[in-house]
Amino acid sequence: MTQPVAQPLLTPDRTNGQPLLIVENLVKHFPVRGGVFNRVVGHVHAVNGVSFSINRGETIGVVGESGCGKSTLGKCVIRLQPCTSGKILYEGADITSLSHADMMPYRRKMQIIFQDPYSSLNPRLTVNALLREAIKFHHIVPTSEINDYIVHLIETVGLRPDVRSKFPHEFSGGQRQRLGIARALAVKPEFIVADEPVSALDVSIQAQVLNLLMDLKDKFGLTLLFVSHDLKVIEHFCDRVLVMYLGNLVEELRCDKLHDEALHPYTTALLGANPINDPDQRRPLVVLEGDVPSPFNPPIGCAFAGRCPKVMERCRHEMPPLESKDHGQRVACWAVD
Amino acid sequence: MIKRLAKSRGLRRFMRSKIAMAALAVIGLYFAIAILVGVFRVITPADATVRVLPSRYPGFLQTPTLDKRFEVAQWFIDRVETKLNFAERRKTDVRPLLDELALVERTVAELPPERLRQLIDEAWEVSDEAGEGFDLRDDLLDDLDDATRELASHRDPDTDTATLRPVEELRAFIQGKRAEVQASSGEIDSALTRLEAVVLRIQPLPTGWAGMKYTFRTFLGSDYGGSSISINAFYSIKVAFQVGIVTATICVFIGTVLGAAAAFFGGWVDHTVMWLVSTMSSIPYLVLLAVLVYMFRGTYFDTTSNPFLSLVPLYTAFCLTFWVGTCRVIRGEVLKIKELEYVQAATSIGFGRFYILLRHVVPNATHLMFINFSLLVIGAIKSEVILTFLGLGVKGQPSWGRMIANGQQEVINFAFWEIGSATVLMFGLVLVFNIVSDALQDAFDPKHVT
Ligand SMILES: Nc1ncnc2c1ncn2[C@@H]1O[C@H](COP(=O)(O)OP(=O)(O)OP(=O)(O)O)[C@@H](O)[C@H]1O
Ligand code: SF4
Ligand SMILES: [Mg+2]
Repeated sequence: MTQPVAQPLLTPDRTNGQPLLIVENLVKHFPVRGGVFNRVVGHVHAVNGVSFSINRGETIGVVGESGCGKSTLGKCVIRLQPCTSGKILYEGADITSLSHADMMPYRRKMQIIFQDPYSSLNPRLTVNALLREAIKFHHIVPTSEINDYIVHLIETVGLRPDVRSKFPHEFSGGQRQRLGIARALAVKPEFIVADEPVSALDVSIQAQVLNLLMDLKDKFGLTLLFVSHDLKVIEHFCDRVLVMYLGNLVEELRCDKLHDEALHPYTTALLGANPINDPDQRRPLVVLEGDVPSPFNPPIGCAFAGRCPKVMERCRHEMPPLESKDHGQRVACWAVD
Repeated sequence: MIKRLAKSRGLRRFMRSKIAMAALAVIGLYFAIAILVGVFRVITPADATVRVLPSRYPGFLQTPTLDKRFEVAQWFIDRVETKLNFAERRKTDVRPLLDELALVERTVAELPPERLRQLIDEAWEVSDEAGEGFDLRDDLLDDLDDATRELASHRDPDTDTATLRPVEELRAFIQGKRAEVQASSGEIDSALTRLEAVVLRIQPLPTGWAGMKYTFRTFLGSDYGGSSISINAFYSIKVAFQVGIVTATICVFIGTVLGAAAAFFGGWVDHTVMWLVSTMSSIPYLVLLAVLVYMFRGTYFDTTSNPFLSLVPLYTAFCLTFWVGTCRVIRGEVLKIKELEYVQAATSIGFGRFYILLRHVVPNATHLMFINFSLLVIGAIKSEVILTFLGLGVKGQPSWGRMIANGQQEVINFAFWEIGSATVLMFGLVLVFNIVSDALQDAFDPKHVT
């Protein structure tokens, strides 16, 4: 089942119409081993044929419940994990199965910011060592300018330059996340996967770090794949959103149309779970019941069928295809025509 | 590196533990002795076998019996007299012969042979006196014995009490005899003291630095062969440390390399290493050690007197068996670390796998290397002692294992220093290493590390 690759031009594209990144039908299965001989007894279907594209300078949100494969998608896209099948095109070049050496120029261009600020910094390296090794490895600046560059980076992420000789454990969660951002920025990347960069932080600090991220995005002209389970944050910061459910892309739409045009029952349910600021605005409240099915042995039909308020007989037997609508919206649901 | 270590919270927590610091100081003391012995040759293996005293001389806290003192004094006089007689018959110079009698620093007095002869005659005289004293005391003891038995017969209904002396008289007699025995013991004691004074003139105790050395050699007495127990016990510290540290270093290295490689690369590397680990740990280790040591029988390492090379069979056996535990622990830790996000971040920068392994993964498992090192030192020392006790371990140099094996028979005669010093020193060393291992484990416990 191949899905049409949408190439919407929602934001002004600076690359003559060619998207920065195209992901085609990406599949990631994790083998599950068991039994006496440690044989593969099945697969976790973490990502199940996801296609999308990102234009240069765009920010795309990925939303979904815990375990739906958001992080896996992000990691596969920048080749931190090999994907089972599918294609990843960066600036038109296929990077899906490049060797370690051939991958090198793309490694510099694509970086990731992790969710957990505590495990994402090597506790044995000072801030200086941490940034220096990446800068040196990719020859970002001449050796004589490395120190100045590090100071510049640290200031850019809003920390004082005298933190250079400190170790990660001497920082707070928010400061660590800033360091994670500095590390990602150190190699002057074009594309950054931000894997729930603020969900481990205090609410007050979340806003600071998000604002920093958005400032940096504008300043350096970054393209972001912003993973979050919070639709409100995505709505605020992103241009488009990909809604995932159990490894499947169920809806893609523009963030500014989110409240008006969301079609998929799951998206509507997610919107219902977010409090609305405007008291006059009303929305039918949908409460989801039941659990997400297991990604190990996913159901045959629509994965959402067990919890969907609009479920039909057909949903249980046939997987709904992802169909294009107006404004580059795509949705996979039998109930939408 | 030092700066980085000093900043590690685990290490700071470790240094705050007072008992661990005390234990570390004791280890330092042991280590200093081991270095003095091993590197500066303050004690050589020859020192450990040389005769410093007559056989089984009592040490510190053990008062020698009158008989032992008599025997020792006679031993000293007899040796010198034999040499004098021999030189007289052969008409040779007696001095070289007398030098053979030196008990290391304690040489025979630099006196003319005639003067020595004089002293020896004087000594025999006093010795005869003491001998008479002993005879007298033996008679008295016999009388005392008879009287005691007679007194006991009074209570026996089968004997005719008329033939016995009356109870009152016997009681008085025994009391009298006891006093006489005491007096005679006093006389023997004074005779022996004079005898010992003469012996000291024939073969005087060294003074000054040599005297201190000789005191150190003799303060725990001597074993069956007359060699110093203290020297043996202290030399064994070096052997234990050598075996412990060499084994622990090699095992931690092998265990870390194999464990880290197995976990990080997975696949067939992991399968092979884990197969080796489970094979090795399915064999009872003492049996394996014994077999490995036997395999070295008759090789160069078995016969050499080099104090390092002669231990190669032991190192080999230990290193082949002990890396397993470290390997398993490191593998588990690396499996955990390699999934952490900072390792993925390093991958996203584009670093090679070896660089990531060496810079980002292994340094975060160093605390386990320290803990395992400490535990392996204990394991190796204990196994060395056990194997030597069984006669399979250390050859050609002292070891606590040998001392314990030899000392077993001596304990019956209240000669506890041979077994005692070996046990106490080994106990101390194992204890402090245990304390340090525990403190390291506490300090680096991930439950505190956040
Ligand atoms: N290395 C792995 N081996 C096996 N299964 C994995 C692995 N990584 C992820 N999975 C499984 O893949 C599925 C998707 O995981 P993923 O981490 O992508 O979810 P997520 O959407 O990021 O969730 P969260 O919001 O909690 O971060 C989960 O069911 C997870 O158990
Ligand atoms: S396909 Fe059916 S079950 Fe799935 S979301 Fe649409 S209506 Fe619900
Ligand atoms: Mg995640």
